[in-house]
Amino acid sequence: MKRTIVLLLVGVLCGCGRQEAAHSGTKPITIGVSLLNLSNEFIVMLNESMAAKAKDLGVELIVNDAQGSAERQVQQVESFIAQHVDAIILNPCDVEASSPAVDKALAAGIPLVNMNSETKAAPSAFVGSRDEEAARLALEYIAKCLNGHGNVLLMNGVMGQAAQIKREAGARAVLGKFPELKVLAEQTAEWDRAKAMSLMENWIQSHGATINAVFAQNDEMAMGALLALERAKLKDKVLVVGVDAIADALQALRDGRLDATVFQDARLQGATAVETAVKLSRQQPAEKQVYIPFRLVTKDSAKNY
Amino acid sequence: MRASSIKSWGLAIALVAISLALSFAKPTFLTVPNLLNVMRQISINGILAVGVTYVLLTGGVDLSLGSLVALSGVVAATLAHPNQHALAVPVLVGVLTGTLCGAVNGLVVTHGKVAPFIATLGMMTVARGLALVVSGGRPVSNLGAEFTRLGGDVAGLPIPLMVLAGIALLAFVVLRNLRLGRYVYAIGGNEAAARASGIDVAAVKLFAYSACGATAGVAGVVLAARVTTGQPNAGVGYELDAIAAVVIGGTSLSGGVGGIGGTILGALLIGVINNGLDLLNVTSYYQAIVKGIIIVGAVWLDRQQNKS
Repeated sequence: MKRTIVLLLVGVLCGCGRQEAAHSGTKPITIGVSLLNLSNEFIVMLNESMAAKAKDLGVELIVNDAQGSAERQVQQVESFIAQHVDAIILNPCDVEASSPAVDKALAAGIPLVNMNSETKAAPSAFVGSRDEEAARLALEYIAKCLNGHGNVLLMNGVMGQAAQIKREAGARAVLGKFPELKVLAEQTAEWDRAKAMSLMENWIQSHGATINAVFAQNDEMAMGALLALERAKLKDKVLVVGVDAIADALQALRDGRLDATVFQDARLQGATAVETAVKLSRQQPAEKQVYIPFRLVTKDSAKNY
Repeated sequence: MRASSIKSWGLAIALVAISLALSFAKPTFLTVPNLLNVMRQISINGILAVGVTYVLLTGGVDLSLGSLVALSGVVAATLAHPNQHALAVPVLVGVLTGTLCGAVNGLVVTHGKVAPFIATLGMMTVARGLALVVSGGRPVSNLGAEFTRLGGDVAGLPIPLMVLAGIALLAFVVLRNLRLGRYVYAIGGNEAAARASGIDVAAVKLFAYSACGATAGVAGVVLAARVTTGQPNAGVGYELDAIAAVVIGGTSLSGGVGGIGGTILGALLIGVINNGLDLLNVTSYYQAIVKGIIIVGAVWLDRQQNKS
């Protein structure tokens, strides 16, 4: 046992030494990336676009998956600092709990870019989108289709998460402008398609034909609601709108089943984050805040995605 | 084998009482479409609960169920694109995936002498990882209509419910009428005594874990059909709902006591509460609190009845 530990240590030390030698020789830029959760489709898309951009620019990415844990995320940033990376891209797990990661990187003199969502601590730069805007676009579409009159159901993500809070705030802001647009019920389905389907089945039982529209805070839940409505033969009477523009939702739009979704541009977010990180590591000027706009996707525009 | 179904009278009374209260508060509760709705929604949890009843009866536990649901669902989905294979292929391969993982659990427990909690905890993370690898971290969509129909209705009855009924009946008969069933109880009651009386304890346990894995495979296939995608993130926490249904139904966590009848009642209770709280539009935060209190209350009532 002791011998294996010694061997491992030797291996680790040799590994580090080699890496440092290579570093001082050719000086390729290395960027440490800590992602929220690689089992989420949107984060997978972010990751792919970052990898493509890094290849274009000839920089090296070290990608770690925090698997939703802010604590793990802070540890990953600590190890990036120990590896003397040139910049860090943080895809924060939590507004508060991921903040120490930002503070530590900046204290170590390593520029840090927050990607997709925010932390309480101010980073060197932020690249992402405004979640309120996504909900605003979705609700405005619903209001337009219903001429400002009707009954709406709101399906929320995991309560208390930044995306859920902001998307709800965006939805409420629009609802405030249309007093004739009434919320029949509001409930969480935890971003999950199966839970959304059960919730929608229950809502159909209690509200039936009075439902005019469903706003789901992500496409997975919108697809669940859609399936439940289709099986109850009510889809013709109810608008369903989601957020994220995942592949399945876009297909459903093209097939004329889903009514609308809101496209969050993973490709542009990931690529811009890498560009910004590279600029910062070269001490070139970079925008402090880059907001990538959301876009409403309807049946007509779905073929462009 | 101690009386298994009689034990659950208190629970049945609690279930009826809650249902009555709900039908007064919300008349739509006690309508045929809504009751079918409840049945449709308990199917996945019910199928898992029936399988894990076997494992709990032997005194073990299976924490890998939720991950096995995701893995078998994803595996089935990758084989279920339109016009790709005959319907039997994704279904059988999906169920087989769950069964194999269950068998591995059983082997690690019996031959590796690893505690069931640890063995199945390991499988929980391995199977989740495999589900992500197979799917590339994305939902596997665009499934054939023949496959997704398995999650729908036929002649007004939900197919998932029929699957649950079939599996529950089979599991009930095996436990009640076969020697294998009696061995399951004997091992949970007193493993040393069971071994001394010549029962092949390892083989019976291997059977219990494999059967449990098989039901997880079935649940994964049915869930994928119901939501028309194989989701690598599906089923997180399902093992706890399933184990809760079994324990609410009167099966002891230390094994040897309980049965399928109670498990179905337990699954029904959880389903009725979930449905009722949605119908009454109880806000999410309070739903969690109310659900916990009702479950503990119902079991409390049940255990008081059994004492007297």
